[in-house]
Amino acid sequence: MKKVTLTINGIRKQFIVHPDRVLLDLLREDLRLTGAKQSCDRKGQCGACTVVVNRKATRSCLAKVADLEGAEVITVEGLGTPQNPHLIQEAFVLSGAIQCGFCTPGMILAAKALLDEKPNPSVEEIKAALRRILCRCTGYKKIIEAVQLAGRFLRKEITPDQVRPDPNGPKIGVNHPRPSAMAKACGVAEFSADIKVEGAAELAAVHSPHAHARIKAIHTAAAEKMPGVIGIMTAKDIKGTNRLKFVVADRPVLCNTTVRYIGDPVAAVLAESREQAVAAAQAVEVAYEPLPIIKSPAEGLAKDAPQLHSDWPNLCYSQPQIRGDAEAALAQSAFVVETDFSTQMNHQAPLEPEACVAYLEEGDEGEEPILVVIGRSINIHYHLGMLQGALGYENMRYEEAYSGGQFGIKIDITSEGLAGAAALHFRRPVRYIPSLTESMYLSPKRHPFEMKMRLGADRQGKLTGLTMDYVVDNGAYLSAGRAMIFRALYMLSGSYYIPAVKALGKLVYTNNPWGSAARGAGPPQANFAVESAMDMLAQKVGMDPLEFRLMNSLRPGQPKSTDRVVDQWPFPELVEAIRPHYNRAKKEAEDFNRKGGSMRRGVGLGTGAFGISMSGDSANVAVELDPDGGLSVFAAAADPGEGNDSMLTQIAAHLMDLPMSKIRLVTRSTERTTATGPAAGSRMTYMVGGAMVDAIQKLKSAMAEAKATTYDQLKAAGKPNRYMGTKKNQDAAAKIDPVTGLGSSFESQVHAIQMAEVEVNTKTGDVKVVKMTTAVDAGMVINPQNLEAQLEGGVDQGVGYALREEYVAGQTKDWITFRFPTVTTACEMEHIIRETPRNTGTLGATGVGEMTMVPTAPAITNAIFNACKARVRHLPATPDKILAALGKA
Amino acid sequence: MDQPAEASRPAGPESLQVQVRSLAGREIVFDSEGFLSDFRQWTEEVAGILAQESGLEALTDTHWQVIRFLRDYYLQNGRAPLHRELKKGTGMSLLEIESLFPGGIKQGARRLAGLPNPKTCGQS
Repeated sequence: MKKVTLTINGIRKQFIVHPDRVLLDLLREDLRLTGAKQSCDRKGQCGACTVVVNRKATRSCLAKVADLEGAEVITVEGLGTPQNPHLIQEAFVLSGAIQCGFCTPGMILAAKALLDEKPNPSVEEIKAALRRILCRCTGYKKIIEAVQLAGRFLRKEITPDQVRPDPNGPKIGVNHPRPSAMAKACGVAEFSADIKVEGAAELAAVHSPHAHARIKAIHTAAAEKMPGVIGIMTAKDIKGTNRLKFVVADRPVLCNTTVRYIGDPVAAVLAESREQAVAAAQAVEVAYEPLPIIKSPAEGLAKDAPQLHSDWPNLCYSQPQIRGDAEAALAQSAFVVETDFSTQMNHQAPLEPEACVAYLEEGDEGEEPILVVIGRSINIHYHLGMLQGALGYENMRYEEAYSGGQFGIKIDITSEGLAGAAALHFRRPVRYIPSLTESMYLSPKRHPFEMKMRLGADRQGKLTGLTMDYVVDNGAYLSAGRAMIFRALYMLSGSYYIPAVKALGKLVYTNNPWGSAARGAGPPQANFAVESAMDMLAQKVGMDPLEFRLMNSLRPGQPKSTDRVVDQWPFPELVEAIRPHYNRAKKEAEDFNRKGGSMRRGVGLGTGAFGISMSGDSANVAVELDPDGGLSVFAAAADPGEGNDSMLTQIAAHLMDLPMSKIRLVTRSTERTTATGPAAGSRMTYMVGGAMVDAIQKLKSAMAEAKATTYDQLKAAGKPNRYMGTKKNQDAAAKIDPVTGLGSSFESQVHAIQMAEVEVNTKTGDVKVVKMTTAVDAGMVINPQNLEAQLEGGVDQGVGYALREEYVAGQTKDWITFRFPTVTTACEMEHIIRETPRNTGTLGATGVGEMTMVPTAPAITNAIFNACKARVRHLPATPDKILAALGKA
Repeated sequence: MDQPAEASRPAGPESLQVQVRSLAGREIVFDSEGFLSDFRQWTEEVAGILAQESGLEALTDTHWQVIRFLRDYYLQNGRAPLHRELKKGTGMSLLEIESLFPGGIKQGARRLAGLPNPKTCGQS
């Protein structure tokens, strides 16, 4: 042990520590300063733990306390509080630089160290200072802008009050700070791992190293005797169905007889400390009998393939879409592109581990205790029902903690099943804070697609027909897999009118990691093929890709490939809006390429028409007029970073003519909220916002009827002060024809056209994205910063998806092997925002969160082609594929 | 993300189909497991027909007590009550309620009361 004196946030203290104790653990565990976060298993990869030590930004997971004698440490809690924030914290809030907030404390402290040394840093200096801190939400643009604004504040060029919108001014279309942003900026927003539960034991799971095997025996005796071990739980200890039934009951909380992918959980160890639990988990011996492994959909569909689940065939879902006679149309087409495409399995990569806390709370007298699960869910009522069935326990409550990003991964349950089961089995409070590698094992992935397609056009360049056969690797468990198939189909024709379509999607069980929602969920994969083929076809026709897209735009009164006729389609206007940028970019690329050499510049386009609100979708929201005239909103509207708190608060304040401070959101607990459905599918503004508008209209009607302007007057008139509103998709009764797949579709669309400018090194195959320009129309904008933030984060994810990222089971284990995008890989971005009020939208608004990465990958691969004639049809477009396409492999 | 309506096993698109039935003189939309797609389409007459179809000869006052509590609770709270809330609200034991409705509370009482499918929770 070693005695060390540190000054932390101005308070001098002595610590007697083990030589290996790192500063992060001292801050989080001993001092409860949980603003410093942990994502990368203390490998120094994520920077979420960055604090200031002796005026330098320092990754506290790498700094040993024993080496810090006399050091001065500043954590985010020492910088400012929500009541008295530091100017840098104000700058981050006012710049819209905070989404999920998990990286925010580290970013703010790195900014402080920089600005203390260089009050007016350049963008390159800011990037250098932030290069070791990862962010998945923002695309880094607004973070850089926040550091610049903080510099202006600190240099006294401007004050926060001069930037902050008037809280009593207009509410819609204004950058009012997110209600949750300052808590995140000051490190007081509690994520699951930050929640202190007295007496909580720590859980670690035993995961299968095999992709497919029978469990012959689980030997726990040696592990049970290890220090600190409370017990070991296996499938037999789970009292319910032990199946997490998202759509079908195929995924066990703990595997009983068979493991079906690398990472499948087999046993769970509960111990007094995380280290003890991990050590004991490693000592659990599982005897496996290897079974034949289905490595791909082709193997799963083979005649002699073993059936992965006895109750369901390997071909677990298929759906056609047939409109017109595509074969005849293509046979008569002057130009046809026929080719294949594929996309990779990917990790959604929220920074926060799959953390969860579970404990038993005293129930009413005579009642069984309440199992409280606090975790990462974006659909708490649905997940509560799944847990009740799996664990065989009814009296439960689910609470959403602050959530460190999601991007689809939190559509389904992971750590909650294990933590909840352990809390019930051992009757102890449980913390389950999995490592990053374990989190990757536990969580669902983006589905890989294999696509064969033909796209035709007539002599004038009008699209004639499309065929598409796609096979989707579902992995070991179904989760939301079917939605990938039908979502890809329902958005298949994208921005265009295609008179004849013949498509078939197949979903196949394999022994790969299970897939589920991932930003866009289906359309980003299918759209990569369609938008690549659009460029290939434009070339055959001899048209400019922009003109070709404009000519083939769907128009109001025409049907999508689902046969649904649209009444609004503000896409041509976006094409016109991006045209000057496109002309500028093409000219710059020509000038660049005229110089010759191995570096080639290219400009590429991609478009997206992203559907929002599937038929049958519905949401409930309740509002209450409070005694002081404020409004409480009750809705399970999860907010893992998109800004749903802004959306609800600004709309409610606008409709009620109240200050934002008088809108009180109650969103996190199943006991107090309405069931709104998932914070997914880009549906929150459209569906949940719409349900809240309905509730407020009912309240206002009641007040008008009672001639009441206050709570007291309303109550005196005998009227209730609580009203429930609903938004229901208008197609509740729409049917899908089983033969043609026609009839059902999304109710609203967000439109975009995106332009990539890239530089390709034709010697190495390396690609640099110079700039991404997005023209978007998501209807009326409620908070411009939040809309831009979705665009920027989505583009950054789209660039990673296009060029680098891939999840390879057993190989991808951390942020380095994942190739997480950093501030140094982030590109310049520009947005053109048009606002066409949507007839069925919420105050004319629809959604935007997923569309933003739908066109990105094809825009980039089209730009690569235009730079150097290398057509990449299989993502990611890594240097080896580009060199191969150039004939240099 | 959209979650399709529940099906007992994955199959073709027909398993995702909503069902439109003519009941009590109206077109009523059901999900694939027989739950109303829209709780606002419910009427007492619809409840009576669904009860008969599920094997109940008639709905008694006790049945109606449970159904009315479920509906009132849902309309007020936007979600189905937890079992302990149901017990408290009706003054009945869970066993009593379970045995009153074929399918029990979740698949029986809630379906007759026109609440959404517990598995779809406000969406389909």
